[in-house]
Amino acid sequence: MKCALVGNQNSGKTTLFNALTGSNQKVGNWPGVTIEKKEGVIKGTKISIVDLPGIYSFSPYTTEEEVSRKFCFEEKPDLVINIIDATSIERSLYLTTQLLEMDVDVVVALNMEDMLDKAGLKIDIEKLSSELGCSIVSISAKKNAGIDKLIDLISSNKYIRNNHKMIYPQEIEEVIKDCINHFLPEQNFKRFSAVKLIEHDKEYSVLLNNHLEENIKKLEKKFGMDGEQLIADQRYKYILKVKDKCVKSFPRPESITDKLDRIFLNKYLAIPIFICVMAIVYMLSVGVIGGLTVNIIDMLFNGAETLEISLFSASWAWEVNFLGLGPWLGGLIESSGGSVWAVSLVKDGIVGGVGAVCNFIPQIMILFTLLSILETTGYMSRISFFLDRVFHNFGLSGKSLVPFILGSGCSVPGIMSCRTIEDPDERHLSIILTPFIPCNAKLPIITLFASYFFGGSSWAISFSLYVFAIVIILLFGYILKKLIYKGHNSTFISELPSYQSPSIKYVARDVHDKTFSFIKRAGTVILLCSVVVWFLGSFTWTMTFVDGEKVLIAESMLASIGNAFAWIFYVMLGGNYSWAVSVSAIQGLVAKEQVISSIAVIAGLGEGASGADIFANPLFSFFTPWSAYAFMVFNLFSAPCFGAISAMRKELGSVKATMKGIAFQLGVAWVLASIIGGIGWLVA
Amino acid sequence: MEKRKHLQVGEEGHLSDLRRGQKGIILNFHNDNAALRRRLLDMGITKDVVVEIKKIAPLGDPIDIKLRGYELCLRRLDMKGIDIKVVE
Repeated sequence: MKCALVGNQNSGKTTLFNALTGSNQKVGNWPGVTIEKKEGVIKGTKISIVDLPGIYSFSPYTTEEEVSRKFCFEEKPDLVINIIDATSIERSLYLTTQLLEMDVDVVVALNMEDMLDKAGLKIDIEKLSSELGCSIVSISAKKNAGIDKLIDLISSNKYIRNNHKMIYPQEIEEVIKDCINHFLPEQNFKRFSAVKLIEHDKEYSVLLNNHLEENIKKLEKKFGMDGEQLIADQRYKYILKVKDKCVKSFPRPESITDKLDRIFLNKYLAIPIFICVMAIVYMLSVGVIGGLTVNIIDMLFNGAETLEISLFSASWAWEVNFLGLGPWLGGLIESSGGSVWAVSLVKDGIVGGVGAVCNFIPQIMILFTLLSILETTGYMSRISFFLDRVFHNFGLSGKSLVPFILGSGCSVPGIMSCRTIEDPDERHLSIILTPFIPCNAKLPIITLFASYFFGGSSWAISFSLYVFAIVIILLFGYILKKLIYKGHNSTFISELPSYQSPSIKYVARDVHDKTFSFIKRAGTVILLCSVVVWFLGSFTWTMTFVDGEKVLIAESMLASIGNAFAWIFYVMLGGNYSWAVSVSAIQGLVAKEQVISSIAVIAGLGEGASGADIFANPLFSFFTPWSAYAFMVFNLFSAPCFGAISAMRKELGSVKATMKGIAFQLGVAWVLASIIGGIGWLVA
Repeated sequence: MEKRKHLQVGEEGHLSDLRRGQKGIILNFHNDNAALRRRLLDMGITKDVVVEIKKIAPLGDPIDIKLRGYELCLRRLDMKGIDIKVVE
């Protein structure tokens, strides 16, 4: 038996799905779109269940609705479980009545029974069931109440069969009947299709003939509105009738949600509160946890003599002399007679590369926990509500501020937080623009260049880069909105859900799923990319290993590739070909910190080399303040590290879109840096 | 920000003209954007429905309205296409 779970957004659908399936889930994407598809098996049964996207209707306008409609028609589930929010029953039943027009049995899961009292509602479930003509089970997905009853009903097969109740006035029902009579016998979902014909749904226009068109026109004239409006109107009229019979409401004092919103949406307090909330999220995920864990994880992978941990401005250091996974494996290979390059492959290529990405894991876990809490409590919806006015002019969503703020710590969590943005175009744009914010790993680049070339005013230079990034983000948001997404009229129609206390179970699950999918990528794509960069940098074209003593990195394949790409940097470096700079930029793809360590290594210095030493080396002595600024700008805007690229790939949903995004970022970086470097060249 | 008319009970205008706490009954709507129009219908903004302005975002837009027992946020621009009559 095959079930589908259907419901509005914010109806508790995901919570119910988790409660029904337990850990037995498979997460993927719907074919051709970036909407997540979850499948599972209902606990203690063999019934499979698919979680359809959260929708309000089966209109032909949104991808989510399209996907749901297709599933119901092509996969023909045996049963649809329709979860509805009991506290907004009128709107919820709108979808239910559409489901009942399909040739499928429907069981309604009336969610949030525990909230009814607070909302001042009383629902006569038996009466509602007989009015609608389908089985209803009262549940609370969050409190796990009524779930067993729901599973029993489904597996016992004793639910009420769909008898296609007539819900419209007689005139409309007659036209529907007429349509059904004109359909070919093999036409599926006859009643649903007939209603769609009256609504002028384009996908059904092939079924139309002159006679039916005539009838529908008469109908529209009689009611004085077009078919689409007529059906919506009459559907709600029917629901209102049902509601009057089955739902009693009592006046309630002002709800907690309204009281809280007086504070959180207050004209003067809303923005300061938001800044505080974001500061806490940032501090915990990027600041505190980042500072506490980065060195520990680095130690586990690469070993360390001393372990330094920082919390705010305080820091502690211990003598640990920890070997680390990479050096340990390297030693193992060495002692069993492996060659130097094999040791380096494991130590620097594999463990080093993946370790650089795994540094993000604690931050990601904390971030997802906090985001999940913000989302389940209902605060996230408020953020997009009050920031919408600022951002929608730039093709972005009110929620875009969240990825931008987080991106100043690390692009990976920033990009991942874009998934809370509903509108696909706004989400897309936010994902591509988030890496423009200078992340923590780009800071060493800025620090080195700014302090050497700009001395006392280096803070102003660093600050100017942030301002530059923000200006560019808004500018390109505006340009891309006008150029690429023109014609798409973004609208903002969303619910402000009631505030709720977060469910620990839901949050834990959410964090687990999202973190795990990131780790999986670190072990596959990111691993491969790091090994490729390691290989190119560690061998010459004659496959001699670059040991840094007899054979230098200048002779490696990466150096000649760097040479081939050096023209890219020609203008921004004020008319200098430099393989060394181009190699450093390429190594920045593994992790942005590597730009500086690569520059130091190429200059024949240790990793912590000072600016004075580095820029005394003939390979880098051509840098001027202009070209230094240009190079900083290039690194700021160019393709982010592999970790962020793979996060982009995950969130954008396709390789093609990711490639386009990276090409765009490189283009912006190149043009801006070349302009700055070019001006410097002319001035000189 | 443009100055809004202050509508009295019984007067007609656009949904976007209503002030916080005012209620209006929906008379009609004119909208070129088919997707938006359908979405509004789906969310229950149909003829004769009573809508109350509940909350206004701190920057003046969007606006949270209450109808059919739930709350919905809309942009002022999208509310301009909805004709109402003030009832309270």
